[in-house]
Amino acid sequence: MSYIPGQPMTAVAQRIEIQKLRQGDHLILGFSIGGGIDQDPGQNPFSEDKTDKGIYVTRITPGGPADVAGLVMGDKILQVNGWDMTMVTHDQARKRLTKKKEDVVRLLVTRKSLEKAVKQSMSH
Amino acid sequence: MFCRNQTARATVARGSALEMEIRRGKFRNSVFLDTSQDSDLQKKIDHEIRMRDGACKLLAACSQRDQALEAAKSLQTCSTRILAYMSELQRMKEAQVMQKVTRRSSDAGPMDDRMPCKGKVAISDLRIPLMWKDTEYFKNKGELHRCAVFCLLQLGGEIFDTDMVIVDRTLTDICFDNAIVFSDASPGFELRVELYSCCSEDDYSAGSTPRKLASKLSSSLGRSSGKKLRASMEPGPVSPVSNGGASPLLLPVPSVPGPKYHLLAHTTLTLSHVQDSFRTHDLTISGNEECSYWLPLYGSMCCRLAAQPHCMTQKMMSGCLKVKQCGADLQSWTKVYAVLKGTSLFCYHRQEDVEANVEPAFTIGINKETRIRAAEKDPQSKVQNICISNQYGGEEVTHTLTTDSREDTHRWMEAFWQHFYDMSQWKQCCDDLMKIELPSLRKPAPATPKQGSLYHEMVIESSDDLSSSVSDILARRLQELELRSQLGTSPTWMSLFEENSPKIVGRPRPCTSRLSGHSPCTPHRLPRSPVSPHRCAQMGLLSSDVSLTSDSDSHCSTSLCSHHYGWPEPSSNFPILSSSPSRLRPRTLSLDAKLSTLRGRGLGGGGVGGGGGNCHCSCQPPSSSLLGPSPISSRSPRLQHSTQTTLSCSSSTSSSSSSSNSECSHSPESSEGVPFSRPSPVRRSLRNLRARLDPRNWLQSQV
Repeated sequence: MSYIPGQPMTAVAQRIEIQKLRQGDHLILGFSIGGGIDQDPGQNPFSEDKTDKGIYVTRITPGGPADVAGLVMGDKILQVNGWDMTMVTHDQARKRLTKKKEDVVRLLVTRKSLEKAVKQSMSH
Repeated sequence: MFCRNQTARATVARGSALEMEIRRGKFRNSVFLDTSQDSDLQKKIDHEIRMRDGACKLLAACSQRDQALEAAKSLQTCSTRILAYMSELQRMKEAQVMQKVTRRSSDAGPMDDRMPCKGKVAISDLRIPLMWKDTEYFKNKGELHRCAVFCLLQLGGEIFDTDMVIVDRTLTDICFDNAIVFSDASPGFELRVELYSCCSEDDYSAGSTPRKLASKLSSSLGRSSGKKLRASMEPGPVSPVSNGGASPLLLPVPSVPGPKYHLLAHTTLTLSHVQDSFRTHDLTISGNEECSYWLPLYGSMCCRLAAQPHCMTQKMMSGCLKVKQCGADLQSWTKVYAVLKGTSLFCYHRQEDVEANVEPAFTIGINKETRIRAAEKDPQSKVQNICISNQYGGEEVTHTLTTDSREDTHRWMEAFWQHFYDMSQWKQCCDDLMKIELPSLRKPAPATPKQGSLYHEMVIESSDDLSSSVSDILARRLQELELRSQLGTSPTWMSLFEENSPKIVGRPRPCTSRLSGHSPCTPHRLPRSPVSPHRCAQMGLLSSDVSLTSDSDSHCSTSLCSHHYGWPEPSSNFPILSSSPSRLRPRTLSLDAKLSTLRGRGLGGGGVGGGGGNCHCSCQPPSSSLLGPSPISSRSPRLQHSTQTTLSCSSSTSSSSSSSNSECSHSPESSEGVPFSRPSPVRRSLRNLRARLDPRNWLQSQV
């Protein structure tokens, strides 16, 4: 998942569809994100490459919509409903996830374990 | 000879020059005589002039940009109002003159023109989209060019202004939340909307003349240059109204150094634009890119323009009637008390029912399709009947009304004609009653910073092993504190807060202890300043929020501190860091003591939760939004030993409401006796993770 800005990136990705949950006036997804091009990538405990400024899932509310949908802490979010999340500021990322008009978000996420799984299956 | 102080009666010959003179004199005087309307206007003008003077003084006196902008806005509003009143006054004078003239010249014919009823017009939810270039919008570096904008809305003699909004390139629309209601509009109204903007960054005076000099210059302008300045200051030509000394001459517009608003765009809305929903209207933009007050407007404006004509909301006519429904073969008349309002004639059994809000006996629709005519005279009674015919789905239903006297019939017919006329004038407004919300007088809640505090959305979940985590955290804290005091250095991010200390000045600075972060990482972070200046402002502003809400560590210790030491509002005043080590010493000891007492009481989560509650009281916005998502998390199931769940449970504390619910289940691990016991390996890795996920180091948002 090393990422060189400007160069195309390949990753094994999984599609996760999360139905937002209505909590009074808010629609929540039940996870927290960290990262962004305006944040310090060295602080990211989940990223392999410490220059990766992508958006990572830092916490999942147990039992929440994200948990139910299969999102795992440490996932890197590549796309949200088609919008790119690899080159966005933290706030842009948050906004793309929390649009009031959208009831469901379809994420494209990647994680180390996926790559490992693919490699394992390929080696057999 | 005529003596001044003697009143003598003199006979004046008719048609003589003297008589004409006298007549003319009376005429002249009567023109300039203040009627009640005039004096009303006069009072208004005086009021506005006083307001304007006040605004000028404020503008000259204030030092802060926001105040100056607000004062300049009120100045602009007052000037416009004065202009409007002046022109109104002049028009009234002219009308009077014209009236007199016509009366003299011709016989006044019967004034047969029907006047349509007035109504209320409300405009709300104004939204003006902006069209930034992508380069500008995404560039996001360099300084933010900001403009202060507001709208002036004018209808007839009423002028209202909206609140002021600061616009910069992170905004895609200018939204004005005010709802403005004009109470006395005729169907032919013209609602003029003007958008004024002012660059919010420049030096206020033209060029950078020092204030004193500028004010000196402004007060000592000569006549011609003053006129020129006046012309340039005001949007339109100013014509001083001179009459017989009743109203003052137009005072020269004071040129006060300060922000000046310029007209950026305008549009005029009329009855055809009225609709019960949002509509987009075109804006006429004045100004170009070169102007300092320029904003890239998309060229349109969305708003909701609603109108309530009085014929829809008020009782136009009421009285006793006798109604007979044709086609039902009833020969009996039903006596009713009828009220004509809106699109129907409500017929109540008794007059008292109207006030009692009882349902009317029946309702006859009066709308554009209704036909009303006077029927032939009933042979029994002496009065004419009124027939009202409606089409109800293909079927024609006719009601016949009759009254007790001819005059009543005539009045009812008159009322019906007037009603029809009103409906024809107000057109689409009479189809259905449009809702107009009265603007609430309540002051809006203090605006949170535009991008919102990211930590508002941070869910503070219940923690099952809160007590143990608290103890660990505190243990770590204390250790680091010792280190800190020895090292005498501050973590990098302290510098951020130093830069922004003006924002948080005034709050006590007790909790340096809790902000003494994470020693392992400090050396690394020393050379880095991870946050751009743009973010810096946010961080500074949020520093107290951060410490209050997001991190469990800070939260716990803060809550404890505030709970027990009565520190009103934990925050930071970092430049005084040098003195902190000495101040912190006594606290750490008491912290220790408090910790042990807490443990003894086994309050763990409760104590912190309670403290959390206290803490949250001092910052309302976070807690209210926290209460939202928390129910989901407060019901977290029994701990499983997965990294994920323990992390989520332990890295946050509950908000005030869920705190009472949350400390139900304490996990078995929580039964650690001593505060500073050696943590288990699992816990250490968790702690590391938690430490690294400290939002002070790396921003996280809950979605």
